[in-house]
Amino acid sequence: MNSFWIILTGSLVAASCGFLGCFLILRRMAMLGDAISHAILPGIVLAFLFSGSREILPMLMGAAIIGLITVFIVQMLHQSGVKSDAAIGVTFTALFSVGVVLVSLYTQQVDLDLDCVLYGEIAYVPWDTWQFGGMDMGPRALWGVGGVFLFSLLIIGLFFKQFKLCAFDPALAAAIGIPVVLFHYLLMTLVSLTTVAAFESVGAILVVAMLVVPSATAYLLTDRLHIMLFISMAVGVLSAILGYFFASWLDSSIAGAMTAVAGLLFFLAFLFSPRHGMISKMVARRKIHIGEA
Amino acid sequence: MSTYFTRWKKGLLSLILGTTLVFAGCSGSTAPEEGNGAWKVTATTGMVADIVKQVGGEHVEVTQLMGAGVDPHLYKASEGDIKRIDQADIIFYSGLHLEGKMVEIFEKIGKTKPVKPVTAKLTKEDLLADPASPDNPDPHVWFDVSLWMKAVEQVRDDLIAFDAANQADYSANAEKYLAELKELDAYAKAQLASIPKEQRVLVTAHDAFQYFGRAYEVEVLGLQGISTASEYGLKDVQKLVDTLVDRRIKAVFVESSVPKRSIEAVVQGAAAKNHSVSIGGELFSDAMGAPGTPEGNYLGMVKHNVDTIVGALK
Repeated sequence: MNSFWIILTGSLVAASCGFLGCFLILRRMAMLGDAISHAILPGIVLAFLFSGSREILPMLMGAAIIGLITVFIVQMLHQSGVKSDAAIGVTFTALFSVGVVLVSLYTQQVDLDLDCVLYGEIAYVPWDTWQFGGMDMGPRALWGVGGVFLFSLLIIGLFFKQFKLCAFDPALAAAIGIPVVLFHYLLMTLVSLTTVAAFESVGAILVVAMLVVPSATAYLLTDRLHIMLFISMAVGVLSAILGYFFASWLDSSIAGAMTAVAGLLFFLAFLFSPRHGMISKMVARRKIHIGEA
Repeated sequence: MSTYFTRWKKGLLSLILGTTLVFAGCSGSTAPEEGNGAWKVTATTGMVADIVKQVGGEHVEVTQLMGAGVDPHLYKASEGDIKRIDQADIIFYSGLHLEGKMVEIFEKIGKTKPVKPVTAKLTKEDLLADPASPDNPDPHVWFDVSLWMKAVEQVRDDLIAFDAANQADYSANAEKYLAELKELDAYAKAQLASIPKEQRVLVTAHDAFQYFGRAYEVEVLGLQGISTASEYGLKDVQKLVDTLVDRRIKAVFVESSVPKRSIEAVVQGAAAKNHSVSIGGELFSDAMGAPGTPEGNYLGMVKHNVDTIVGALK
């Protein structure tokens, strides 16, 4: 049963990150997940200073609040003309360094780093079950990640047209009366909630990778958003499944193996994509050459 | 819009269902292997595994999760570790948050099988903690051999509670091991006392030696905080260099599970002030040496540290 829970959790994380990742890629904010993974350090330090404990609930709350603040600052800077990569870079380094300073000032003698108090480990998912009214409801991670995934599916599903237009052509969207800013903030909120919930369940690297790699892979394979979303989720889920078997075979880190498979799938798409792949481009170039001759 | 939505939903549902069907079949088929009748014990660090091996003797088969040279703060579970935890009859860990988030998992597993922290016997007086957060004590208790003896007693009691049939063996093994540790404690005290008090200063990269310092009256100066992840400040380096120069301290030490870079900066800083400091050798801190080497067990590791320190400072 353990393998099943781990694969299911990995697939859910991959699907929810792959889904939101498509919108981030289109908005050139793919590294937002990485940014959040660093920026939440002051959140856990402040939560520790206020609560005096390293229990997961205060840590998670601190992280979630700072996660939201991070994406709001990024969005605000971007809105006022800062390039999106610069906005992300400035925000997360500033917040992370605030965290480092806080640690060195107040919590020198306490083992308080993100890996140790917040980031989960996908290997432990099967044992960390949720007890509700004396009943064993299965792994807690599944409920957390599954919950935010359903929430994002619902929000984006309800306003799909608006989100799509805001991603591709915000100027047109604004012109026809869509509250673009509101939808940007909404998307950022979803990203922040998803990443923090997933960090707590499966650790940082898997989440950061699944926000970028599957959607980048899908982007090579199609130019249509709804197909891209589907491919991205499928690539994510496939990485989770194949990655688990690699980890099992090599007795290695599970999150690491899943991420490596995602990278491999991207590389395959990069080479063999029918329209944007290296090989098809080479073939196309040759054809033009021959045509000219 | 709604057509898109239903299409994803169908796709997603079939994906999830697909995985469910494929993997429901191939899980849960791990039949326990027939061993030599020994209990399967899983331990986190080498130090804990060592106690269990000594006390359990022939009645236990010990598996260790964190290998030689692995910093427990940075340990990542592998796929095989899931089975090592799952198939254990009883699990021992160090405790006091040394294993980080893993402890929460151990507490959950503790509902279905015995999962025991070896530091459970230690009282508030035994532990060192930053006055600002008394509830979060320093976990590096194994360098005070007298405290680690309490961990041995804890393992003995837990093994007896778990398997009363072999009580006599566990008691006898523990007795023997405790005697060896007592001798080691006396050896460390005598050796370190031979260094003049003014020079009995241990400078390392990571504050893992606070208990060692208290037990053997060695002043401990560190660069990093408790966690290997915390950064040291520029002032820390400066202050440390000044102390080295003022007190004519001859050597500083590097640790097996912490990078050497930070302590080398201190050596160079002292050299710039015309005081030559040597690197006194490598100390084992959060992990023991490779299995098979003399430092691959707890006794050898402590002896190595004591001899290295005495050799370099005397």
